[in-house]
Amino acid sequence: MTRTTAKYLYRVLFWVVVAVIVFYLFFPFYWAVNSSLKSEAQLMMTPTTFVPRHPTTMEFTPTLRNYQAVFSHPQFIRGLRNSGIVATAATAISLGIGAFAAFAMGKLRFAGKSSMLYLILSMTMFPQVTILSGLYAIITGFGMTAIPGMIFSYMIFTLPFTVWVLTSFFRELPKEIMQSAQVDGATSLQTFRLILLPLTAPALVTTGLLAFIAAWNEYLFALTFTSIEPAARTVPVAIALFPALVARQEPFGEIMAAVVVVTVPVVTLVLIFQRRIVAGLTAGAVKG
Amino acid sequence: MKPRRNITLMQQEKRLAYQLLLPTLVVLILVAFYPLVLVFYTSFTDRTFASPREPEYVGGANYSRLLGMTVMELPPLVDEETGERMVDPDTGEPLYERPIQVLPREPRRYRQLTQFTIFGRRYVWGATDPTFIRAIQDTLIFTVVSVFLETILGLGIALVVNSNFKGRGLMRAVMLVPWAVITVVSARMWQWMLAPTRVGVANVIFQRLGWGEGHISFLGQSEWQLPSVIMVDVWKTTPFMALILLAGLQLIPNDLYEAARVDGASVLRQFRAITLPLIKPALAVALVFRTLDALRAFDVFQVMLAQSRYSMASYNYYQLIGNRAMGLASAIGVVIFFIIFGFAVAYIRLLGVEKD
Repeated sequence: MTRTTAKYLYRVLFWVVVAVIVFYLFFPFYWAVNSSLKSEAQLMMTPTTFVPRHPTTMEFTPTLRNYQAVFSHPQFIRGLRNSGIVATAATAISLGIGAFAAFAMGKLRFAGKSSMLYLILSMTMFPQVTILSGLYAIITGFGMTAIPGMIFSYMIFTLPFTVWVLTSFFRELPKEIMQSAQVDGATSLQTFRLILLPLTAPALVTTGLLAFIAAWNEYLFALTFTSIEPAARTVPVAIALFPALVARQEPFGEIMAAVVVVTVPVVTLVLIFQRRIVAGLTAGAVKG
Repeated sequence: MKPRRNITLMQQEKRLAYQLLLPTLVVLILVAFYPLVLVFYTSFTDRTFASPREPEYVGGANYSRLLGMTVMELPPLVDEETGERMVDPDTGEPLYERPIQVLPREPRRYRQLTQFTIFGRRYVWGATDPTFIRAIQDTLIFTVVSVFLETILGLGIALVVNSNFKGRGLMRAVMLVPWAVITVVSARMWQWMLAPTRVGVANVIFQRLGWGEGHISFLGQSEWQLPSVIMVDVWKTTPFMALILLAGLQLIPNDLYEAARVDGASVLRQFRAITLPLIKPALAVALVFRTLDALRAFDVFQVMLAQSRYSMASYNYYQLIGNRAMGLASAIGVVIFFIIFGFAVAYIRLLGVEKD
C-alpha cells in the first residue's frame, strides 16, 4: 500500500466515524419528526416505515394532523405559557441578584471570600431531590401556588450556577478599568453599574440562556408541585402526562408533534448562540 | 493621612461586598438550607402530606424501615420419611425452605431481595423495603455504566472534533442538539422507538439483525429495563461530556505533539503520554458533574419505567406524592444526600480535584 492510498483510506475512515456520530446524535430526533408526520394508522404499521407511507399503496403520504391537534390542545398551550413564565422569571431573578453577588466575588476584597466561592460551587452540585419534601412543605406552608412555587424553587439550581459562571467572567475583566473609574471619583457601585455591567452583557446573555434552558428542562419539582394543580403544568409535565383523548393507547403521533414543537425553538436558539454556550458551559466547569 | 483613607476604603469595599451578597445568601438559605434542615427533622417523624393529624416523633423508624436488611440461611428441605434431601423433580436442583418461612416478621416484615449460594449453602438476602434497596442498586449500576460509556464515547467524539477538518464548527454545533432536548422529551422519543412491537424502530432493527422476534418489551422485561434507560441517558449526556473534554483538549499546546512526532512516538503513545495526563483536570470535572447528576436521575426513570422500577429519586417522588408519606420521603432524601456526599468526597480524594 502506498502512502497516498493509506492517507486516502484514513480520510474515508475518518468521515465514516464523523457520519456515525452525526447519525447517532440525530437519529432519535429524525424519528420523532418522521413519527409526527404519520397518521394513527401509519404509526401502527408493522414493520414501521422510515418515512410516512400509505398503509396499502406505500406512497409517501405525510400528514400535519398531529400538529393541528397539538396546537388545539389546551393543556399543551397552557404548558408552553406556564413554562415560559416560570423559566423567564427564574432566569431574570437569578441574573438580577446573582450579578451583584458575582461582582462582589469577582472584583471586591472581603473576608470569607474563598469559603463563599466553595459554598457556591458545592451548591451547583446540590442534590435537589433530597429537599423535595422539604420544599413542598415550605411552598404549601407559605400558601404559594404552583407557579410562584416553581419560580422560587428553581433558584436552587439557577442561582448558584449564575453566580459561579458570572464570577469567572468578572474576575477576567482587567483591574485597571475599576481603578481608573475610581480615580475619576466613581463609587464601586457606580463602576459596577455603568462600566462593568455593560461589559459583561454578553456573559449575562449566555448565562441567562443556560439558566433558562435548565429551568425549561426541569421536571421533578414541576411534576411534584403541580400534582394537585394541573392548570400550572409546565411543558415537560404536559408531555410526560400527555392525555390519551380516546382512552386506549398513548397518542404517540401527537406526542412526537409536541416533542418537535418544543425542541425546534430551543435547538435553533442553541445553534445561534452555540459559541457562547460552549464558552459558558466550559467556564462553569473547566476554568473553575 | 493616606493609610487611614485606605483602611476606610477597604472597609467600604467590604461592606459593599456583604450588601451585594446578601440577597443571594438569603435566597439560598430559604431555598436550600432551610428545606434541608426541615427534611432532616421530618425524617424522624411520621408526617403525612395534607393530613390534619399532628406528626409524631418516631426516632429512626423511617430509616430502619428503609435500610433494614438481613441475610439468613435457608435450610434444605428434607423428606420426613426417608430423611433425604428433596430435589426438584425437573431440574434435579436441591429444594430449600421458602424465604417467607425463614425471614423475620417482627418487628417488621422482611421480604426477599435475592437468594445466593455460598459453599453449597443457600442464603436469602431479605430487606424490610426491598424496593428501595433495589432502587439504590439500580441507581448505582445506572450511574457507573452510563458515566463509563459517556466518558468513552465523549472522549472519542471530542478527539474527532478536535482534529482539523472542514465542517468542524458545524459538527460542534450539532453536538449540542441532544443536550438541548428536554430530558422528558428525549425519554418520550426513546419510549416510542423502543415500543414493544414492530411499530417501534428498535424492534424492527433488532429483528433484521436476527435478535428476537420483533416483540421485545424493552421497558417491560426486567433484563432490558436498565440497558434501555442507560442508552437514553448516554445519548442525552454524551455531548456534554464531549464538550468539556474538547475544552480540555484545546488547552493542550500543539508543540507537544509535534515534538513527540519528531521523537518518533506513535499515535497511541502520544495519546497515553500527552493527551491523557493533560486532560485529566477536565476529565475529573466532567466525571464529578456527571456522576453526581446520574445519582439523582429522575426524569428518564419516571417517564419510561414509572412504577415498575425505581431510581432513588423516583422512589422518593413516589413515596411523597403516591403515598403521601412525607416522613419516609424525607428519610429517603437524607439517604440520597449521604450517598451523593460520599461519592463527592471519594472523587475529591481519588482524583485530587483541588481547585484554585
